[in-house]
Amino acid sequence: MNGIHDMGGMQGLGEIGYKESDPGFHEPWELRVFALVQAMRSGGLRPYIEGIPAADYLRMSYYERWYTALVTQLIESGVVSRTEIERGRAEPASAKATPALTPAVARELLFRTPQTEQHIELTPRFHVGDRVRGRNIHPTTHTRMPRYTRGKTGVVERDRGVFNLPDSEPVSAEPKPEHVYLIRFTARELWGEEASAQDSLYIDMWEDYLEPA
Amino acid sequence: MSQRNADAGAAAASTSSTAHAQDHTDVPSDPALRVKALESLLVEKGLVDPVALDVLVDTYENKVGPRSGAQVVARAWVDPAYKQRLLDDGTSAIAELGFSGGQGEKLTVVENTPSVHNVIVCTLCSCYPWPVLGLPPTWYKSSAYRSRTVMDPRGVLSELGLDLPDDVEVRVWDSNAASRYMVLPERPQGTESMSEADLAALVTRDAMIGVAKAASPPVGGDS
Repeated sequence: MNGIHDMGGMQGLGEIGYKESDPGFHEPWELRVFALVQAMRSGGLRPYIEGIPAADYLRMSYYERWYTALVTQLIESGVVSRTEIERGRAEPASAKATPALTPAVARELLFRTPQTEQHIELTPRFHVGDRVRGRNIHPTTHTRMPRYTRGKTGVVERDRGVFNLPDSEPVSAEPKPEHVYLIRFTARELWGEEASAQDSLYIDMWEDYLEPA
Repeated sequence: MSQRNADAGAAAASTSSTAHAQDHTDVPSDPALRVKALESLLVEKGLVDPVALDVLVDTYENKVGPRSGAQVVARAWVDPAYKQRLLDDGTSAIAELGFSGGQGEKLTVVENTPSVHNVIVCTLCSCYPWPVLGLPPTWYKSSAYRSRTVMDPRGVLSELGLDLPDDVEVRVWDSNAASRYMVLPERPQGTESMSEADLAALVTRDAMIGVAKAASPPVGGDS
């Protein structure tokens, strides 16, 4: 969706706040939220982060967004009730669940790479060297197509293989596997004549995001 | 276990009284309390095993971080065959050194040269190669870095202290989909006789994001 999270090319969003030795988290609760999300193994949190109203999204710190998205997801999926979140206690009659992640599996996670590629044969619509254009589409659900690529022409650099189209999550249980292509756009195509003539941008795009140019 | 809790307590005390307090003046201890309440609720309901949670915290606090990526870079600098494997198939070559796991499904390594400079961003969220760099720094997740890097990479790099000549080609990688990226920085001049371990010490996290170059060797360190 055309949400606030789709920031590429926006202006006026404040300072970068660069610090050379800036760590990945600053307070213990940030790492606890991160760990809770991993431990729940609840799948994609991104649609819930993108669902945070824009004004709140900009005001929240990064891990506050994670907390908010996790709570929303847990309530929407019926795993916890709003009352339980507000009270911090389980309903007396609620059933005891089995943890999604055991300590043994948690220890192995570091050495186990999740497989997201779909090893199935699908005829690719595009090939290396093809000129392609970002389609002018505005999905209202989750998508990984940034708006700055719409209507822009680039070249297929590589076929990444077959992956499920994220736009169908979480609205449909039916996965839609497609080829993903690495596309090169020149900086001038994306940003106009003031951009440097030799610079470029590389981005992976699902087949659904592209049309022949 | 008790030692780690003591460390965590010390870390909490130090972060709340130092620079961080200036960053988030509108966010006091409230999120910490809300997260604690959520954690105890999920544990009470049997949804989360507290020991598994401690394992995850320990992993991302102590075991995963940019020193892993630095080892990969140093190996590539001293071993041309490894470097070729790394550029051809980052995931497999990085796994050779024992680094894998979440957000490492597809790792693509892009090489900086005297004529090409690569920089990594995620405009839609915060995609980042956890197995080699750990969790991303705050500035990488900032709205300003995410919005500006794709449109004005030279301006952003200059603001972060890296001025590139006009004739260097800048390649921005928006890590929005299946692949996570790591930059292979240029090996600094004057490091020909340095050991792999000493070379790894020159490789900063920010050089592997592409917003800095690898550090120069200490004066006299390569004699």
